[in-house]
Amino acid sequence: MLLQQLINGLTLGSVYAIIALGYTMVYGILELINFAHGEIYMLGAYLGIIFLGIFTAMGLTAANFPLALILTVLITVFFCSAYGFTMEKVAYKPLRNAPRLSPLISAIGVSIFLQNYVMLTQGATDKVFPYRYGEAHVHFLNVEMTYLQVMIIATSALLMLALHLFRKTRMGKAMRATAQDKTMAALVGINVDGIISLTFVIGAGLAAVAGIMVASYYGIVNYFIGYVAGIKAFTAAVLGGIGSIPGAMLGGILLGLIESLGAAYISSEYKDVYAFVMLLIILLIRPSGILGRHTEEKV
Amino acid sequence: MRRLTVLLMATFCAAVLASGCTKKENVIKVAVVAQMTGAEAKMGNDFKNGVSIAVDEWNSKGGVLGKKIEVLTGDDQADPKQAVSVANKMVNEGAAGIIGHFNSSCSIPASDVYTRANIPMITPASTNPLLTERGYKGVFRVCGTDDQQGKVAADFAKSKLNVKKVAILHDKTTYGQGFADLFKKHLGAAVEVVYYGGITKGDKDFKPVLTSIKEKKPDLIFFGGIYPETGLLVKQAREVNITAPFLSGDGSIDPKFVEIAGDKAAEGTYLTFSPDPDNIPAAKDFIGKYRSKFGELGPYSIYAYDAVNILLAAIKEAGTTDGKTVAEKLHSMEFSGALGKMRFTEKGDVSQSPYVVWVTRNGKFEEYWKP
Repeated sequence: MLLQQLINGLTLGSVYAIIALGYTMVYGILELINFAHGEIYMLGAYLGIIFLGIFTAMGLTAANFPLALILTVLITVFFCSAYGFTMEKVAYKPLRNAPRLSPLISAIGVSIFLQNYVMLTQGATDKVFPYRYGEAHVHFLNVEMTYLQVMIIATSALLMLALHLFRKTRMGKAMRATAQDKTMAALVGINVDGIISLTFVIGAGLAAVAGIMVASYYGIVNYFIGYVAGIKAFTAAVLGGIGSIPGAMLGGILLGLIESLGAAYISSEYKDVYAFVMLLIILLIRPSGILGRHTEEKV
Repeated sequence: MRRLTVLLMATFCAAVLASGCTKKENVIKVAVVAQMTGAEAKMGNDFKNGVSIAVDEWNSKGGVLGKKIEVLTGDDQADPKQAVSVANKMVNEGAAGIIGHFNSSCSIPASDVYTRANIPMITPASTNPLLTERGYKGVFRVCGTDDQQGKVAADFAKSKLNVKKVAILHDKTTYGQGFADLFKKHLGAAVEVVYYGGITKGDKDFKPVLTSIKEKKPDLIFFGGIYPETGLLVKQAREVNITAPFLSGDGSIDPKFVEIAGDKAAEGTYLTFSPDPDNIPAAKDFIGKYRSKFGELGPYSIYAYDAVNILLAAIKEAGTTDGKTVAEKLHSMEFSGALGKMRFTEKGDVSQSPYVVWVTRNGKFEEYWKP
């Protein structure tokens, strides 16, 4: 029972973690909370459904499902990254030197725009994922785990590992340098604008993968899912320490576990409350989050 | 500043004149109010389609009281706050009667507005008992109540399924929790309730609560709620290997439920609902027209059709659109509609309990058990 609940929480948590990474990376570089990030996740879910639908109509899904799924993921990641890239260029770059409140308001504007755009073009009713994974289980120690759950946890772990390795590369070092000090990074010849774009592209790509995973796991999607997921992932990022990449991963998984265990052992009626109570407690004890560093104000 | 005041006065006068004009128009307005947008928009459109067939029939016979009938449409977005504001809008536009709303949580606050404005309201789908329990003379429903529905569900669980242990879930809404509580009340002491709890409407992950329920090994899981959550609950219950059947109500009997849950998971889910209109001889004509015009019937299309027919018949009988007189007629008359003979009780409910139990078989709903 406990093990089963931990697995439930881990599945949910790894999705939160992937979305939270996008928040934390952007915050680390621009000190901007990108409230439109949840909408990218929502777009990912929709695009996943659309492209898988197209492949199903073409007969590819029936012939070779893994190939159809991989193609869907790749195309969706590409489109969502393009959305992320454009979003930064249109809504945030012109405000780079504006007071900090301006890009924040711009972010909320983008979020509202994307939500309504999807509602108007795709309709307000729930969309159903076009493929069923069946009910095949992995069964061990009295735990039921669908293959999809295994896949979600594995994919998330893989993506987090990839991101971790990326930090060590030349590009990753440039990104960390930009996060530390943009002016200094520019002086040593780093293309700061390029790095910022790259951050948005990576964050959006991760959100796209999370969107497809959630769409296939729960099977239904509507234009409003980005809002709730965005708030949860943002909470996860703050819980772990915003700006810190391992913090976002830890925060996401912790949040998923708290929600599942709270719903199981206390009461499912207040499921959303536990996460925020936890956030409150952590912020009271450690204002910069679990793994967040306390940074001195630059003078 | 003075010029602005004059302009405002002029606009105000023009507005008053314009509203004066509409009052003299030679039509009788009937309003359909439900959610026309949002996740459950289909239900609202089912209402609208049912009403439009009835109104076309009346208009082709010359309308009522020598006037044509015009349909006003209001969207409450399934939101109680929006329901009140759209109710006020309908009152201002001069509706003679209201067909709506869908959700009990919208119908109840909106009925205050209509009662104050002295406009009769007939809901085709709101089943919460509270709606008609406040002594309002102009509030009616053509569907059953959750009390009647809860009793049928409980009788079915006890006498047909012989359950000993049951888990009860609800979605914390007026409808869902109300239905779940009444089901629990009618179960009595013979059946043990091993789990009772709420979930959040709009949430997608119910595995934690289902895992807890699995531990309790219930013979049956009851859910008071609407189809998106019912679909997800049934789907996820099968994923954590719960084999106990689900029992839910009229809010879940929609093809979307099967689509979300999947044919295999939905198989054998019981739903309390009114009898199949295909088996009612009087409904044949309506069903034919509806299918040729709008396609497959929604669960409440026929109720909306009967509701507006009853309202117009009462207006015709009363010879006026005065709300009080029409309401008195509604209380005293007997109607024969597409659902058969119908009479309202003192409270405004239908006198006969209309519920039966349906079952999901191969992705379709079939009538299964009569109390």
